[in-house]
Formats: sequence, C-alpha cells, structure tokens
Amino acid sequence: MNLYRTMFATTAAITLIAGSSLVGCSKSANKAPKKTATSEVQEVTYTIAIIAKSNSNPPFLAAKTGAMDMGKKLTESLKGVTVQVNWQTPPQEDAQLQAQYVEQLVASGIDGIAISVSDANTLNGVLKDAIAKGVVVVTFDSDAPDSGRMAYYGVDDKEAGRELMRQLAPMLKGNGTVAVLTGNPAASNLAARVQGVVEEAENWEGVNIKQVYSFTPETATEAVAKMQQVQSANPDINGWALVGGWPLYTDNALDGIYENAKIVSMDPLPLPIAYALKGQVQVLVGQPYYGWGAKSVEMIIDKLHYDESPESELVIAPFDIVTSENAEEYLKKWDGWLKED
Amino acid sequence: MSKSAADTQATTPKSPAKQSFIGSLFGHQESGLVLVIILMMTALSAYGLWSPIQQKTPITLDGNATVKLLDSAGVEHDSLARTEISGYRVTLNGQTTNYTSQTIERYDSSSRTLIEVRSANRFLNKGNLVQIAKNASFFAIMAVGMTGVIILAGIDLSVGSIYGLSAIVGAMAMNSLGTDASLLVSIPVGIGVCVGVGAMCGLANGAMTVGFNVHPFVITLGMMATLRGLTVFLPQYFFDQQSIGNLPSSFQSSFIKAEFMGVYPVPIVFMIVIAIAGWFVLSRTVFGRRIMAIGGNETAARYAGIPVGRVKIMVYTITGALAGLSAAIYIGYLGSAETNAGNAYELQVIAATVIGGASLMGGRGTAMGAVLGAIIIQLINNAMVILNVDPSVNQIVMGAAIVLAVIIDQTKQKLARRKS
Repeated sequence: MNLYRTMFATTAAITLIAGSSLVGCSKSANKAPKKTATSEVQEVTYTIAIIAKSNSNPPFLAAKTGAMDMGKKLTESLKGVTVQVNWQTPPQEDAQLQAQYVEQLVASGIDGIAISVSDANTLNGVLKDAIAKGVVVVTFDSDAPDSGRMAYYGVDDKEAGRELMRQLAPMLKGNGTVAVLTGNPAASNLAARVQGVVEEAENWEGVNIKQVYSFTPETATEAVAKMQQVQSANPDINGWALVGGWPLYTDNALDGIYENAKIVSMDPLPLPIAYALKGQVQVLVGQPYYGWGAKSVEMIIDKLHYDESPESELVIAPFDIVTSENAEEYLKKWDGWLKED
Repeated sequence: MSKSAADTQATTPKSPAKQSFIGSLFGHQESGLVLVIILMMTALSAYGLWSPIQQKTPITLDGNATVKLLDSAGVEHDSLARTEISGYRVTLNGQTTNYTSQTIERYDSSSRTLIEVRSANRFLNKGNLVQIAKNASFFAIMAVGMTGVIILAGIDLSVGSIYGLSAIVGAMAMNSLGTDASLLVSIPVGIGVCVGVGAMCGLANGAMTVGFNVHPFVITLGMMATLRGLTVFLPQYFFDQQSIGNLPSSFQSSFIKAEFMGVYPVPIVFMIVIAIAGWFVLSRTVFGRRIMAIGGNETAARYAGIPVGRVKIMVYTITGALAGLSAAIYIGYLGSAETNAGNAYELQVIAATVIGGASLMGGRGTAMGAVLGAIIIQLINNAMVILNVDPSVNQIVMGAAIVLAVIIDQTKQKLARRKS
C-alpha cells in the first residue's frame, strides 16, 4: 500500500510539473525549437506523414520506400532542410482509423499529410479540418476531391479499368464471359476502375460481364477464396479482370482458374509478375507505386519550402504494361522499391 | 500490521478512518487502471516537453493585402525558399506590419494565409487530450455494454458488425432527410434509428442464445457475419453505393461535432453519461445485482428465482443498443458511414473490457473499468503516433497489454484467495 501511495504521489507531482511547464512553454512562442536562425540560411524540419490504406498491402510498402527515399534525397539536396517521413497506416483498411490518425497527426504538429483515402465521405471532414489548420494535404492512389486537398497523384482509375478490358477483350476473340474482381466497394478508386472495365466491355462485341465480385477485408487469402469459389460455381467464366492484384500475392492462387480463363490484373508486383512469367496471367497493368510516396513527398515539400503548388490538382501518372516479355526487367525495379532501410 | 503502526492507530483515533479512506481508494478495482493512466500520461507529457511541437494557426489576409518575403538583409522578395526567409511584410491600406519567421512559419499564397506557430507540449495539449478521449468514446460506450455480457460469462462477437449495420442504416435514414433537416428531426432519427437497429440485433443475439440454449460465442459469431453481409448489401441495394454521406449538417456541426473552444467534446460527454449510467445500473440496481449473481453462479441464481433468460436477453439488447449509440456518434462525427465500419472492432471492445478488469469467467467487471480500459488502449495508440512507432508494433503492444492485464488479474485473484 505504501508503495502505491509513493508511486501515486510521485507521478502526480511529475504530472503537475509537466503541466506547469506546458503553460510556460506555450507562452514562449518565440522559442521555436525547429528553427535556428543563422546568418543566411535557417534550419527547418518538415514532418510529413504517409497514411496508406493498409499496412499489409505490398504496393503501399513501395510507396513507403518512395516516400522515405525522397525524404532522404531532399534532406541531402536542400540546404538547412531536414525532411522527416512518418509512416502511419492502419493494419487493415479502416476509414475511421485513418480519420483518427489524421486528427492525431494534426494535434501532434504535422506539416504535411499524404493519404490514400479509404472512403472519401468519411475522410472529407477531417482533411478539411487539417487543411484549415495549415497542414498541406496530398492524396495518392485514391482521392478525396471534396476535401480541398492540394493535389492528387496517381493513375486515372477509370482509364486503368478501360485499359484492363482493352488488354483482355482481344484475347477472348469475341466470345467472353468476364468476371470482375474488386476489393472494398466503398473505395472510390476501385469503383472507378470497375466502371472503366464495364464501360469498355460495351465496346467489344461478344464480351459480357458476368458480375462484379467484391470482398473485404482486402487480403490475399480473402481474394483467392472469392476467385476460387466464383470460378468453381461459374465454369463458363473465361476471362478475369482484377482491378487490384490481391489474389496474386500468394502462390498457386490461380490453380483451376488459369486453365479455363485469360486473366488481366492491376498491380505488377513481384509475386504477380511470377504469374506472368508462368503464363498464368497474360497482362499486368502497373501504377506508380514508388511514386505514390516519392511524388507526394516532393509535392508537399515544394509547397512548404517554396510555396509552389502543382499546375493541376490532378497529377496523372502513366500506366506500366507488363507481360511475360518484359516481366524480368520490371521485376528488377522492385529490388530497389522494396529494399529495407 | 506492524506493532508501530498498530500503536499509531491506537493513539490517534482519526487515523483509522483516514486509513480506510485511502485504503478503499487504492483497494478499488479501478485504482490500478487510474495509476496506469497517470503513469502513461506522465511519461508522454515528459516526452512531449522534451520534444515539443509547433501548433499552427492560419491567419487569413484581407484580399487587398500584399505580402513580401524578407531575407536576412531585410530585402523584399516575391518568392524565396523558406530557409532564406527571415520575415514577412504585410501591407494593407498603406499600413505595414512585419512578422518574424519565428512567429510565422510560412506564407501560403494559394489560400492567402500566414501560418502562425507557437510551441506546445507534443502530448499535453488540449487538442491531443480531447482526441484521445474522443477516440476512446466509440469503444468505451460499447465496452460498457460488453461488460454486462462478460459479467454474465457470455461474449458478443457481433458488436463490430452491429456498429457497422447501425451506422449504415442510420446514415441511409438521415441521408433521406436531406442535408438541411432541422435538429429536431435529425437527432431523433439519427439516434433513434441507430439505437433501434442496434437493440434489435442485440435482442436477436439474446433471444437466440437463450431460446436455443446455444453458447453466445456461436450465435454472435454467426450474427457477426450475417450483419456484416447486410451492412454491405443494404446500401448497395438501395443506394447503389457502399458509403453513405450527405447527412443533415444539423446532426453533425450542431450536435455530435459541435465545437467548443476549438475542440469537439460531445462524444466524450456521451461516454461519461454512459459510464455513470453503467456504474449505476451494475452497482445500484436489482437488475445489476441479478447480472452479477448469474455470472457468479447461474444455477444458484436460477434456484434463487432470478429470471435468468430474461436478464440475459436484456443485457444483450442493451449491448446492441449501445453499439448503435456509438454508431450514431460515429456517423455524426465523421459525416458518413461506410460498409467497412466497425470491422474487427469487437476485439478492441473486448480488450477494453478485459483490461478494465472484467473476468471472462463471469461474475466480475465494472462499467468504469471498461471506460478506463478503452482510454488506456487509446493512450497506447496515441503514444505510437507521438513516438512515430510503426503501426504494426501497435498491434503487438496491444496484444501484450491484454495478456498482461489478464495475468495481473489472475495473480491478484490468487493472492486474494490466499489471503482469505
């Protein structure tokens, strides 16, 4: 009991001291610790948070590497500048948790946020609040146009969906029953890709969309289970358009499927590329995974350091088309993108 | 008790009363949790003091104002890298005001704002503390209900799905009201629909558990999947989308997200009210004593004439209703609901309850403990953000905290048994 009392008294005292220090700290606004005036150049630290959709999704790990690399590069190239990049991503896709992260980061004094938005409706309000408090916000991969963010960086998702069908339809030779696989249906980027696939299919005679199949949470296991179940129940399916590469992040995901169907997918990551090399997936449409992080950090620093915004708020990146012919070459890029710190 | 202590008590008559007050204070089930919270806050405050932040306040300039950037020699520029800026000169209607780069962090020409900064403790600042309590409130409200279930030696794995379904149905109902609906309409509809849906789900859980005499683990596991499926299906079927926004602004900015002194405290008020209500029901009412009795020994409770089935159904219904209330606060705060809402939240709710001292064997637990458990979880989350720890580690820490809480609880029970 005495131990309890002593601990309580000590902690209470420390809390009071810390609290009183806070008051003193707030009043001394001129003692800004981040800036140290020199004769010509001041020292500035920019802290940027990257909030991707889920920590277990490999494309976002490339974005993380891109962001970290760009942070280091800018720290080395800009005199007096330190760019600190914080990776703050929910373990699983969770828009509410993303919103909580945004609020916590703003409260902890973040300078910029780059976010792949899980649900624009959920995030709009907190992103608006962040911007109103002077935080520079950029979206990548999945946008929230009504949030007032400075810019979006990524592919045109509807065009990406169209590209998938443009690649798949000729392989079906006018006789196609196509299943579309998507993840979280609430994600606006996936919805746009699905729309692109469906719209493009209308331009190809003899190609019909069987159904759009969705699954959550967006894990490889869930995706494989969904694909296997659908193919088994619908043997007439002879084409698959995967608007994300989820099932291809495991081995042998396409057993029983690739023998009966042509498959095109987004996301030429290392494991999906192995499927292309085996001839089980015909085409992979790539996004700027590394650039999601690198370009986002660069745009935020341009704004914070030079007060420069991109010319257009939509910064659209081109696709990479990966087939068995260039798969080896593309695979080498990943060695750099997924390197450990 | 040592001889000297006994002597002291004998010579000072007021001491025993004082001792018993302090003793009861520290002997209280929640005192350990409060101590943990104080220790964590102290450590984080000390870190926040050592590593302060720059709190930003944008100052919007008049449309006619001109801004020039000053270098270290005081020469004016239209554009300059931030490291070369030593001040800002704002001219409006012939009047000039100079700011140093120590007080103005940067000038944003797109929004025509000067970003003013002031140093503050990274942890111990009003915004951050309210964030922690607000984030805890969603889980704490559900955890109060879960405490009742766990005291009954039951479990409810469907609270996350009830939360998601209540949010989606509530958002659909409020979306149909339009964004301009008045407060008098939006509050009863928003709260009523969410709580109603939650209560119905909880009623189904309780009725099936009691009616079919099946372990609640199985029933609520099935309900978890069923309700999640409905959460995805309903908005797709009726709205052809998976995220419902455009809710009445009165329900958001005038109610759940009403601003007081720069923060949004309404969810915290709900949490406090529910915690007090939970404490009162569990410790001061016949209903609460019946819950404890059933959890302690169900057979004995039945022989004592307690309507076990009815009490169980009521507890599951209340738990569902509280998940619905939490969902109403979520959609009011974030202005939308999406089909993934509440996914895997049951784990956090159960964790809060267990950390709060509820025994999974039944018969023991408090509403206040559950709320404190939820606050501890959010303090851990906040610490991870403040310390910039990889979120994956967060899960490890959270898991370890739950195991630790159970081990401490078991040890405490063993010691108490030995003592008695």
